Amino acid sequence: MAPRRGTTRRRFLQSTALAAAGLALPRTGFAASPDLKLKKPIKIGCQCILSGPLGGYGEFMRKGATLAMEEVNGQGGIGGSPIELNFRDEELKVDVGVKNARYFVEDWGADFLVGIDSSGVAMAVGEIMPSLNKVLIVTHGATEKYNEDLVFKRHIRQCFRVCVPVYQDGIASALVAKDLPVKRWATISPDYEYGHTSWKMFRAYLKRFKPDVEFVGESFAKFGTVDFSSHISKVMGLNPEGIFSTEWGGEAVTMVKQAKLFKVFENTKAFMIGMGSAMDVLQGLGADYPDGTWASGRYYFGYPDSPENKKFVEAFRKRWNSYPSYPSETSYTAIHALKKAVEKAKSIETEKVIEALEGLELDRPAGKCVIRKEDHQAVYAVPWGQIKHDPKFPMPILTNLKVFTTDEYYRKPPFAPVEG
Amino acid sequence: MYLWLVAAGLSLIFGVMRVLNFAHGSLYMLGAYFAWVVVRVTGSFWLALLIGPAVVAGVGWAMEFGFLRRVYSAPEAFQLLLTFAFVLMFDDAVKLVFGPVYQSPPTPAALSGAFVLGRSILPTYHLFILCVGALVGLGLWFFLEKTSFGLVIRATAADREMARALGVRSSRLFTWVFILGAALAGLGGALSMPVRAISPGMGEFIIIEAFVVVVLGGLGSLRGAFVGALLIGLLHAYGLLFMPVFELALGYLAMAAVLIVRPWGLFGARES
Repeated sequence: MAPRRGTTRRRFLQSTALAAAGLALPRTGFAASPDLKLKKPIKIGCQCILSGPLGGYGEFMRKGATLAMEEVNGQGGIGGSPIELNFRDEELKVDVGVKNARYFVEDWGADFLVGIDSSGVAMAVGEIMPSLNKVLIVTHGATEKYNEDLVFKRHIRQCFRVCVPVYQDGIASALVAKDLPVKRWATISPDYEYGHTSWKMFRAYLKRFKPDVEFVGESFAKFGTVDFSSHISKVMGLNPEGIFSTEWGGEAVTMVKQAKLFKVFENTKAFMIGMGSAMDVLQGLGADYPDGTWASGRYYFGYPDSPENKKFVEAFRKRWNSYPSYPSETSYTAIHALKKAVEKAKSIETEKVIEALEGLELDRPAGKCVIRKEDHQAVYAVPWGQIKHDPKFPMPILTNLKVFTTDEYYRKPPFAPVEG
Repeated sequence: MYLWLVAAGLSLIFGVMRVLNFAHGSLYMLGAYFAWVVVRVTGSFWLALLIGPAVVAGVGWAMEFGFLRRVYSAPEAFQLLLTFAFVLMFDDAVKLVFGPVYQSPPTPAALSGAFVLGRSILPTYHLFILCVGALVGLGLWFFLEKTSFGLVIRATAADREMARALGVRSSRLFTWVFILGAALAGLGGALSMPVRAISPGMGEFIIIEAFVVVVLGGLGSLRGAFVGALLIGLLHAYGLLFMPVFELALGYLAMAAVLIVRPWGLFGARES
């Protein structure tokens, strides 16, 4: 029996296999990438939520990043080096997220960090990026404080984000809401950074667009809520005409199901869910998703009608036998953005890659996108739409898409405080 | 009411066997998943309510017969470790078999209506759950108070040594009690399936609440579990209305308050 040498050997085999795969595949017509002569794989540490009722998100993130890795390695890697990914569960906990980031950089030898679902974790990991001094690309955590405070005000230049921030949930949603026949709004949202900040933004901007609206009530549900009855009764007791929610994942599924039982959809004129078009929510609710519900996300597979998007959706379906969810697109984009930036910088040194990422233009599946220099935020537009059941698809889809230009709903430097 | 079903099983098992079953929440999760499979295959929610808990009862039997009975004499920490190991295994098994994506069948049409009383709305499904919970409560009471097997269970819970001396075969009894407790958790899971997203790890949230309920009501007391579950439910509802900031803490504060005044819980037996 051969002596067992545990993980070192396995890891060695893994990386050589990856390298071999990268070398063996034909280098198709992509612009020849300059040889960086690293003689080692480029390591990317990915963290996302992989357990519990929101674990579906991390799974979609993992699939998107893995697909991008396979594509990049199929094209010969980055500058002659294959990519190696490592995934860890962030558990949506600040301490776990920080520990993961430290592990990736200090123990595993990560060159870049990608991922993070929770806004709170994104802020905490962002804080320690100067000491780790690696580029972090956030693919889901949406608080505007990440780009506005950490990057723009405090110049933590290692932090980037390729997903739409809470502008999508709080400002684009207000642009949709201003044209709805609803004056009295209430919310049922998660009781943490993301839930509070998006409701605050929604109120401030909707008030600006339509001064006669009222905000009649709010109920914030703690992480892990499985019974929304009390929240629904409380909010419906205030007689709102519209419900705005930023529940997501399994909690969005549960909340909508229970709201249906309480006849909320019959007794209100509009129901909006900021992350309601995520694939796991569409699949999880299935036939129970009420037609006409307004939903959005950080990307929707049906938009835009571009060759890049078609290619991505097809490749994703072929690889995973499922339509991509938005964390799949954002993590896929993060990996490809790193490739483009490293090739432009001709180096994996943090400072050079940061310079290459600033102002970088990408033709991502979600459309054309620029990484803004001032706050390291990817600028691209994602539609809101209404839920519709279409027999051609295995899950409900979005119709009546409302797309706003990024000029209309992205906050711009110097980021005046949100009043309200 | 889901909480009551889960807490009842947990309390029953503890009362009779003195085993704190950490995996009880996972049995709840398995109940939901098995019921979901039955719905997928047969399309019948009612059949799922029967088969789901029955399969969980089978899992309970395997757990007790194959593993737990080997550690009865070991220190309690071993029992905790063992049941906690089951939590991890069940979670990963479910993730492996069903994937991490939330599943949830549509609410059965017959139960998706609602009663309107003035401005308040009572969903039919909630009423249905209330009835099932009450029926299970009555059934358990009848079983424990009025049947000879129930008498044996109560006797064993009260004084294990004495019951054994009187000729009760406690090993067989323990198996049956564990099966019953598992089935209760499975029923709770099956009932929650159409109105809650099913996902791996869903058991971890309910087990903590179930522990609060059981400790509040008195370990081993079914009446205590019932009152405890009601109390926690009401606390959450009114807490949200009047002091939403404290909602999360209310259950634990109530538990602490009860434990200070009555360390053995509302309906528990005082340890001699």
